[in-house]
Amino acid sequence: MNSFRLVSPAFKKFKRVFSHRSRYILSILTGGSALIAFLIYYGLYRFLDYVGRAPMLGETFGPILGGLLVSKLLEMLFLTLFFMVLFSSIIAALSSFYLNEELPTLMASPLPVGMIFRSRMLLMTIESSWMVVVFFMPALYAFATALQANWPAYLIFPFFLLFAILLPNLAGGFTALSLAAFFPIRQMKKVFQFLSILVLTGLIFFLRSLEAEKLLNPSYFKDISQYILSLQVPLIDYSPSSWLHQASMSLFRNNTGEALSQIGPLALLSLAGLVFLNLFAVKFYRESWQKSMEAVDNQVLGLEWLRRLMLWPFRWTNPVFRVIASKEITNFVRDPAIFSQIFMMAAIVFVYGYNLSILPLKDIPSLYSGELNDTLVFLNGPFIGFIIASIGMRFVFPSISMEGRAFWAVKSSPVSPRKILSTKLALYLLPMMALGIVLCMVTNSVFKVSDPILMYMSYFNVILITLVITSLAIGVGAVYADFSADSPLKIAGSYGGFIYMLLSGFYIINLLVIEIYPMYRMFFNRFYMARGSSGLLLVLISLILLLASTAIWVYIPFRKGLETIENYEPE
Amino acid sequence: MNQNEPVIRFCEIKKQYGNFTALKSVSLEIFRGELFGFLGPNGAGKTTLIRILTGIIQPSAGQIFIGQHDLFAQPDKAKALIGYVPDRPYLYEKLTPLEYFEFMGGLYNVAQERVISKGEEMLRMFDLWDRRNELIESFSHGMKQKVAMSAAILHDPQIFVVDEPTVGLDPKSVKLAKNFFKQLIADGKTVFLTTHTLTVAQDLCNRIAIIRLGDIVALGNMSELQRRASLPGNNLEEVFLKITEEELAQLPEII
Repeated sequence: MNSFRLVSPAFKKFKRVFSHRSRYILSILTGGSALIAFLIYYGLYRFLDYVGRAPMLGETFGPILGGLLVSKLLEMLFLTLFFMVLFSSIIAALSSFYLNEELPTLMASPLPVGMIFRSRMLLMTIESSWMVVVFFMPALYAFATALQANWPAYLIFPFFLLFAILLPNLAGGFTALSLAAFFPIRQMKKVFQFLSILVLTGLIFFLRSLEAEKLLNPSYFKDISQYILSLQVPLIDYSPSSWLHQASMSLFRNNTGEALSQIGPLALLSLAGLVFLNLFAVKFYRESWQKSMEAVDNQVLGLEWLRRLMLWPFRWTNPVFRVIASKEITNFVRDPAIFSQIFMMAAIVFVYGYNLSILPLKDIPSLYSGELNDTLVFLNGPFIGFIIASIGMRFVFPSISMEGRAFWAVKSSPVSPRKILSTKLALYLLPMMALGIVLCMVTNSVFKVSDPILMYMSYFNVILITLVITSLAIGVGAVYADFSADSPLKIAGSYGGFIYMLLSGFYIINLLVIEIYPMYRMFFNRFYMARGSSGLLLVLISLILLLASTAIWVYIPFRKGLETIENYEPE
Repeated sequence: MNQNEPVIRFCEIKKQYGNFTALKSVSLEIFRGELFGFLGPNGAGKTTLIRILTGIIQPSAGQIFIGQHDLFAQPDKAKALIGYVPDRPYLYEKLTPLEYFEFMGGLYNVAQERVISKGEEMLRMFDLWDRRNELIESFSHGMKQKVAMSAAILHDPQIFVVDEPTVGLDPKSVKLAKNFFKQLIADGKTVFLTTHTLTVAQDLCNRIAIIRLGDIVALGNMSELQRRASLPGNNLEEVFLKITEEELAQLPEII
């Protein structure tokens, strides 16, 4: 028996997720994932390639300063990755080390505690990092291509990334073990879920405050030396993320020897951390696990006024709607893991609005034209769609899973599964739609949209996108429901969450493709004043196609979710 | 509803999980005012039948009538007549007991005043009044069981379905639960319960069915079961063991 054998039940559970899916669906999803990864990779590569040349800074300084800019962006990415993995690992460690259902059996067995700990550590590392790696990998390879890395760099880089993942996980594991010795573990998990959101929110503001867009404009700086200096100074000195950044830059610039020597401190620190954490765990893990068994939650938390305020409008709705809304809102307010995410979502919304407000469209006369502005207004709907989708992933997607093992109570009641799902859909659609429309109003005012057709179209797009995204969140959330999950973060970060985001992206592409012709027609008419029934007919066909495809996108996930819930057999 | 009319009617209920047959073809009638015990060894199919009866899972074949209503054709009407307490009382952990009652009351369309008055009465009866403002997540198994039992009675169901009601309860609570079931019967309700605590079944039940490997192997009141086992005067435990072992012995090539 070794630590790998102890994690095999978790792998088998993961395998079962795929085993009952049809090969056809799986291959579509795999193809879709590969396509999205490629789009991230290629889109970012083209962007970095342009930034790397920085033509607006002239032929001499452009490539030099552009290279520094690319390097700065990579550093920001590594810093984000480090903090994301660090906090996610602390939360995953608290779950995996102390709250896992298998632990009482394992602890009662004659297995050495070090072996049990290593198996939990392995699970925790995979749980906290797999999604980050999946999403960051295409982006990181885009940097490699933009910096003209040779093929060995692509092979070596995953090992660099391994150290970059391992170190924050070790720090997370060590933090969890230390905290468990002093504090009730369930409360600690909540505190860290809250803290992680605050830190990530802070990180969003920190990265935004660096004002990367100014780096493309030397006129912001007193002189060129200060400008270059500002690009060369690391964001945080002597940090693992800056070591990884330096080593990766050397690797991507094909200085493999230098890269290996620069990754040395990170590798040594990771290996030393591994040994140290193992020794620490052998000594303290069993004791801290026993302590964690003693802690319980017992009182209603604060924010009762907020709960009552949020429940107030539902007093006049029908009883089923009222009690389901009441339960969802109560869960939301009393679970810090859920409500704290509001901060992060607010930060994302704020940064999005701020980014739009500082777009230098009108400062660059050679670039500015009404058409560019209008194109951005057209693309704004889909961008809002991505924000709504990420909010849906955090709040709506987990809502079916969060019924948990208590779902028997609903299933044995006279309320049909259809009613349950449609109630949840209506309940979440209201705030999602309101947010989408407010975002659209604010951004339309930033763009100073003058064309009424375009303005109505942007609202129309946001309404359609929100409708589909909410239905997808409920439907896919039901199909991939995990009623045994203890945290909404875990549910949002699951395979089902990934599928939901993927499908949301597909619908947005679907909408853009269908609307391209009406947009083209609008611009065409503006320039050539053309009028003709054939164009109008095609616009009408596009509209019908869009409405029909939207209806299908709303219906199918809802239907699939409903079938899953109807056939679901609670424990 | 007529006293002699069955309030629950199972008609050839079958449940298949792949190659495994959980229920072979169960047909059974339970009458109004009965406290019906459904017994069987582990894995015999008791919980499966209860889950089918409460509409949580679908049978592979067969029909169930609750009063006049077909459970699968008119689930809303049929389920409204049932109050269910599962063997493992998983509840919404972030709610207090009173909030949980409000939730359950809403699902069964019960007036809020009734939910509050009945809920408070049940909390007092089960000694949970002092814990009424605490989250359910801090409750022990037995306390959750009491909350589930209280919630199941809020809509004044005609049929009370209870899976392993005494597991996790302390002796005082077991006595309370037993009295509670007796009171339900006195009020003209029907109770369908499964238990492994055979003394509880013997004390309470008017009729008992014993299921073994998905088939009902014995059905009747205590004296009928004693006759069936050829053990007149013996207690239910001996009768149960005799019947289930007999059935096992008759199965060729299994043991």
